[in-house]
Amino acid sequence: MYRKQVRRRRAVLVALVIVSLILLSLSFSEAESGPIHSIQRGVASVFGPIEEGAGRALKPVRDLINWFDETFDARGENDRLQDELSELRSDQIDAEAVQSENEELRKALDFKTNAGIQGYEQVTSRVIARSPTVWYSQVTIDQGSSAGVERDDPVVTGDGLIGKVSDTTAGQAQVTLITDHRSAVSARILPEGPLGVVKPEVGDPDDLLLDFIQEDREISRGQRLVTAGSTASDLESLFPPGIPIGEVTKADIQAQDTYQQVHLKPFADLRDFDYVQVLTGGPE
Amino acid sequence: MIVTWQVALRVAILILLGVVLQLSFFSEIELLGSSPDVLPVIAVALGLLGGGVVGAVCGFALGLLTDSLLLQTLGVSSIVLLTVGYLAGRWRESFDITSALVPPLLTAALALFGATMFAAIQLMLGVEAPVSLLVVREIIVKALLAGLLAIPIYPLVRIVLRPALVDDARRGGRRRRSLIQIRAA
Repeated sequence: MYRKQVRRRRAVLVALVIVSLILLSLSFSEAESGPIHSIQRGVASVFGPIEEGAGRALKPVRDLINWFDETFDARGENDRLQDELSELRSDQIDAEAVQSENEELRKALDFKTNAGIQGYEQVTSRVIARSPTVWYSQVTIDQGSSAGVERDDPVVTGDGLIGKVSDTTAGQAQVTLITDHRSAVSARILPEGPLGVVKPEVGDPDDLLLDFIQEDREISRGQRLVTAGSTASDLESLFPPGIPIGEVTKADIQAQDTYQQVHLKPFADLRDFDYVQVLTGGPE
Repeated sequence: MIVTWQVALRVAILILLGVVLQLSFFSEIELLGSSPDVLPVIAVALGLLGGGVVGAVCGFALGLLTDSLLLQTLGVSSIVLLTVGYLAGRWRESFDITSALVPPLLTAALALFGATMFAAIQLMLGVEAPVSLLVVREIIVKALLAGLLAIPIYPLVRIVLRPALVDDARRGGRRRRSLIQIRAA
């Protein structure tokens, strides 16, 4: 009797492992339009309203818990901000002096903030679910193909770029964030404009890496990055030009490397946002 | 554990509720720089209460549903959570739970194992970006939070599954018998 139980237990375990491995290899190799992905989208559509309802109902509890966490963090933040404030006061004096010069340079560069998103329609969506691991930086939003959202549409918050739509159902869409390991965004450093590719550092949502910047280019802390919107074959971008991404925190030149690796902090808080804007359509 | 259709229904509801809460509530909470993962906690609780087969089947279902809802590569979470649930069940079948500390400590250890296994699978599937050492911190914090979550969740799962639990039924029977004896006296 006991042996029979052991045999049954092992058979169940082996069967489940085999099914998991089959699903994994099929799902990994299958095209986005394949049957497994279609079933996934169907399941996600059914559960979408439930997730949305649960998210809305539990928002006050979630906000309360996050408030405690933020208050705890704010103690350390306060000291840092005091130092930053005194630094900024002296910077302000310098800034006023260069403001007129800056305006002149902006005209010369013909750069306008968000110029690239003209012609796009903005669909405001709420985040209804989030991936629990750092390996998949994805969120689910409550607008899908019926609202005009399409695969590869750029997604932004008020602070800047956060990712792109990677999949859609009728009522919801999956957004792959710029901190996901599959993400790569061609970007330009302001004001001079060396081009590079922004990639994430898996596990650290506050740090992005800008690759393919020649080692002789001078990059300084605080310089801002925007999407390049390039259509060149090696740095092709899905994103329109001019969407803010982040600012440079440091630049490393590795020994024997011809490129320098620039670290940047994203403008958008990629761990804490409730609403996003999907840029749909775009100029013809 | 005696699995009747009513118990299976309770387990199915528990799994659905667990996944929905994870995606729309727990994943959006930030504690100690990470977000708690309730899925290994549920898999361990079901394994500890139901044994290896129940743990493995429920872990598989939890993972499959999570991957489906997030449109992620199917099978990754399933294989991790079925292993976690099965190991918890094997613990239950091999050792007695003599202390109330066993479920949270075992949950923390198996969550650590599960998160490491998840990371290893991701690396095998190919990660196209550098991996920060902060991933290690994330795994450790998630394991600690899982251990803490097990303190309320294990008794809750036990309450949900009470009609199916042989130990609880025996204990309940003894209690009823002793009450009858007291009344008779």
